[in-house]
Amino acid sequence: MMGQSEKLQKIAAEALEQGQVTMVLGWCKKDFWWQAPVAFITDPASAARLVWDPFTVYNPVKYLLDNHHCHEKIGVFVKGCDSRAVNRLLQDRRLEREKVVLFGVPCDGKTDAAKIKAAFPGRKISAVSRVDEKLLVDTDSGTETLPAAGYLLDKCQTCRHPNPVVYDVLAWEKVEPRPGVDDARFVRVAAVEQKELEERYAYWLRQFDRCLRCFACRNVCAACNCRTCIFDQAEPRWIGKASDLADTLNYQIIRAFHVAGRCFECGECERVCPADIPLQELNRKLIKDINEYFGEYEAGLDPNDKPPLGTYRGEDPAGFDES
Amino acid sequence: MKKIAKTKLVELWRQLASETGLYLPIASDGVVNFARWQEGAEVDLEALNTLLPAKKFFFPQTETVLKYSFSDDLVLEDCAGKAGEALCLFGARPCEVASFSMLDRVFLGEPVDEAYRRRRELTTVIALGCNDPDETCFCGSFDIDPGKAPGADVLATDTGDELVLVAQSAKGEELLSLLNGVLEEATSGDENKVKDAQEKAKAKLPPAPPAGGLMEKLDGMFEDSYWDLLYQRCIACGTCTYICPTCHCFDIQEYPTGSRGERIRCWDSCMYADFTQMAGGHNPRPTQKERVRQRFMHKLNYFPRQHGEYACVGCGRCVRKCPVNLDILEVIKDLGGAV
Amino acid sequence: MGCQNPLFPRVVVVEEIRRETPDVKTFRVVAPDGGELFDYKPGQCAMLSLFPVGEALFSITSSPTRRGFLEFSIKETGMVTRALHEIEAGTKLGLRGPYGNSFPTELLKGKDLLFIGGGIALAPLRSLINYCLDNRDDYGRVDIIYGARSSKDLVQKVELFENWPRVRDTHVHLTVDVKSDDWDGNVGFVPAFLEQLNPSPEGKVTITCGPPIMIKFVLESLARMGYQPENIITTLEMKMKCGVGKCGRCNIGDKYVCKDGPVFSLAELQQMPNEF
Repeated sequence: MMGQSEKLQKIAAEALEQGQVTMVLGWCKKDFWWQAPVAFITDPASAARLVWDPFTVYNPVKYLLDNHHCHEKIGVFVKGCDSRAVNRLLQDRRLEREKVVLFGVPCDGKTDAAKIKAAFPGRKISAVSRVDEKLLVDTDSGTETLPAAGYLLDKCQTCRHPNPVVYDVLAWEKVEPRPGVDDARFVRVAAVEQKELEERYAYWLRQFDRCLRCFACRNVCAACNCRTCIFDQAEPRWIGKASDLADTLNYQIIRAFHVAGRCFECGECERVCPADIPLQELNRKLIKDINEYFGEYEAGLDPNDKPPLGTYRGEDPAGFDES
Repeated sequence: MKKIAKTKLVELWRQLASETGLYLPIASDGVVNFARWQEGAEVDLEALNTLLPAKKFFFPQTETVLKYSFSDDLVLEDCAGKAGEALCLFGARPCEVASFSMLDRVFLGEPVDEAYRRRRELTTVIALGCNDPDETCFCGSFDIDPGKAPGADVLATDTGDELVLVAQSAKGEELLSLLNGVLEEATSGDENKVKDAQEKAKAKLPPAPPAGGLMEKLDGMFEDSYWDLLYQRCIACGTCTYICPTCHCFDIQEYPTGSRGERIRCWDSCMYADFTQMAGGHNPRPTQKERVRQRFMHKLNYFPRQHGEYACVGCGRCVRKCPVNLDILEVIKDLGGAV
Repeated sequence: MGCQNPLFPRVVVVEEIRRETPDVKTFRVVAPDGGELFDYKPGQCAMLSLFPVGEALFSITSSPTRRGFLEFSIKETGMVTRALHEIEAGTKLGLRGPYGNSFPTELLKGKDLLFIGGGIALAPLRSLINYCLDNRDDYGRVDIIYGARSSKDLVQKVELFENWPRVRDTHVHLTVDVKSDDWDGNVGFVPAFLEQLNPSPEGKVTITCGPPIMIKFVLESLARMGYQPENIITTLEMKMKCGVGKCGRCNIGDKYVCKDGPVFSLAELQQMPNEF
C-alpha cells in the first residue's frame, strides 16, 4: 500500500509533469524530527522530498502571495485550516482561484513536539511517526508508543474542519472531526474570562511584556494580507520601535481586531510566536464575542459569505451607547 | 575553588542580591528569561538557553542615548555616562559567554561605545557549564566547549548535588570572596567531578558540522543561486535576529514629548524591508533574498573578514525558534565547511 | 576620545540658509561660541540632528580650506530633510562627525581632474573642487561636468557661473535634462554630454557623484573612453544610523560605507558585492 507521503509525492510529480502547475507547495523534512517546513517544488524529481508526517503543521498558503505573480498556476497541499486560508485570500481579493490547484489533505491532527519532548525528559528522540491513532517515538533507548490524541497541538484539539473546505483533488478519504472539539474550542478563553479584571489585565501585561515585536504572528497570518501594513509605515509611524509595553499593546490589540471576524483559527500565530504568547486566546475571544453578538460565524468557509463585521444589519447590537 | 549544595542556592541568591543586582534564568508563564531575582523567583538552571540572549545586559533592546529639551535653548544631555548598574549575571551558558567577545569587537572597537563599555564593566558574569546539550546545540562548530567559559568571571559547574564555582578573573575572585559565608571550600575530588562533568558534556554534544573554510567558500558565493532557493520560505519576521546572541544591529529613534524628548537606540533587524530603505526610495536590498543573504553572509563571511571570527556561537536559538526552520545550522551544513 | 558616547552630538547654530533650487537649500553651521567645529577632509560626512525630528547623514559640501564653518547642501527627500527645509537661520542643531574616509587629495596631486556630477550630488564634489582650487598649484587642468534636471535645479550657481570659470585652467561644462527658455547651454543627460566632450583619460583622474542611474551610465562611458578603474573615483550612499560602523546597515560586503567609504575607486567597487 502506498504511504501518505508517497501519495503526496505522486500528486505533486504528476501535476508538475503534466504541466498543470509550475510549482507545488507542500512539506519536507529537515535536520530534526520535529521540523517539516514548507517546500517549494518546481521539478517532478524533487517531489520525492515531500512528506506527510505528524509535524506538517506549517500553513503553506500565505506563500502564494509572494509567488503567484511568477507562476501561471501553483499547486498547494492544504489541510482543513490551510484551505480556509485560501478562502481568506479569495475573499480579500488577494488571490484568484484559477491561479491555484488545491490538493486537499484530510488531516487527523498534528503533533506538538514540545509535548513529546516533555514526555521523555533526558532522552534523545530521533524520529516520530504516526500510525492511525498511535505515535511511534524512536528514542535512544528504544521505540515508545503514545496515543496521538494526547499529544496534539492545542489548535488541532479544537479543530472543527479537519477536511479541506475547498479543494480540487483529495489525497485520501475525509476524516471525522475529533469528538468533543466544540466543547474544547473556548475552554482557554473561558479560563481567561473567569479571571477578575485586574488579574486578567496583569495576565495580558505579563504575556505581552515578552513580545519581541518580531512580527512573526502577523507575517505568518493569511488574514494579515494588507499590501502595506500600517506597522511598516515610517510616516506616520503608528508604533515606536522601542520595546515599550504601551506600543506592544497597541500593536497586539490592533492585530487582533484587524483579524476579528476574519481569523480562521489555523493557530499559526501562536505556533510561531517565539515568546509563547497565547495569541489564540485573543483571537478566539473575538470569535466567541462575534458568535454571541452577531450569530454563529466561521471565517474562511465560504469566500462569498457576508462576514458579520463587514455587513451592517439593523438588528446588530450597538453596545457603545449602553454603557 | 568553592562549592555550594544545590539545596542551599536560595541562600546564595539572597546573599548575592544583597550585594548587587542579581539576574538569573527565571521562568514566568513557562518562558525562561534572564530576570532580576527576588524571593520566590522560579529560578531555572536546567533550561539551556533563555528566550532572549544575555546581550541585553550590555546592549539593551531599548536604551536612551541622550535627552534633549528645546523650549528656550537646545540643551542636550548625554546618557551614556550613566548607563548600567552593577550586576551579577548568573547562569550564562558558555555559548552565550563566547558571544560577548564578538559584541566587544563591535562596541569596544574605535570609537568605543561608552554605554556598552560601562555596562560590560559593571557586570560580573557567572557562567554555568552545560551538562546536557540539546540536539540543536552546535557550539562545537565554533570550538566552544559546552563545559567551559573562558570569558566568564566565574565558572559554575553542576556536579550533581552541588555547584562548583571557579573564579576566572579578579572580578570573579572578588565576587566569590563576598560569598564566603555561604560557600564551602571545594576539594580535589570536586575538581575531578568538574572535569568529569565537562568531559561528559562534550561527549554528549551532537556531532557539529565544521565551520572551518566557510568564510573562504562564501567569498565567491554572493551571486550564487543557493540564495535564490534558501530565502523562499523566510516570512521576514525578526525572530532570528532578536534571539541571536551575536546580532547587534540597531536603529536610532526619537521619542519627543512636548518641548523635550529622548533619542533612543533599539535593536533592529536586517530581515525587515525598512532596514536599508532610503528616504529617496532606493533600497539596496529590495527583496527577502538579499536580506537573508545579508544575515548569513554577515555572520559567516563579513564579520570574520572584519574581526577574525565567525559571528555565531552555535547556541541553537534560531534552530529552535525560527517559525519556518530557516537557520544558520542549515547553511553551515549545506555549504559544508571543509577544513 | 575613548570615553565618549560616539552617538552624542554637539550643539551648532545655523548661521545662514541659502536656497539653491526649489528643493535644495545650503545650510551653513557654526559653533555657538565661534571657533572650529572639527578638522575634516573633502568627501567626509557628518550627522545633523534636528530636534525632535531626527538625525541624518550628509556630506560636507564646504571645503576644509574655508575655515570657521561647515556647509551642507540638503535636498528634501524624507522626514528629516523636509523639516530642515522649514527651519530658519539661528536654529540650533546637533552635529557629530566627521565620518568616513575622504577623497584621496594626495593621490590627486599633479593630476588633471575631471569632476562629473549630477543634481544634489555636486555637494561632495564641491568640497573637493574648492579644496583643489584653493590649492591650485598642486593640481593640473580641472574640468567640471555638471548636470541637473533643468536650469533651476543647478545648485551652487554662483560658483558654477562666476567663481570656478574664473580660476586658471578650470573649465565648467553644464547640461540640463530638460530645455527651458532661460537656458542656452547644452541639453542632454550627463553620460551623453560626457561622451560628446570626450575628455582624454591621459594623466587624468575622474571623480563622479550622482544618482545611481547616472553613475551606472557614466561608468560605462568612462570605460569606453579608456579610463582605468583605479582612476575613477565615486561615492556611495546608503541608509545610515550610527555613522561609526556599528549599527550594521550600510555595509556592502565587509565594508561599511559610513566608515570605510563613502569614497571608493571603481577598482575597489569591482572587488565588492554588487549591492548598492
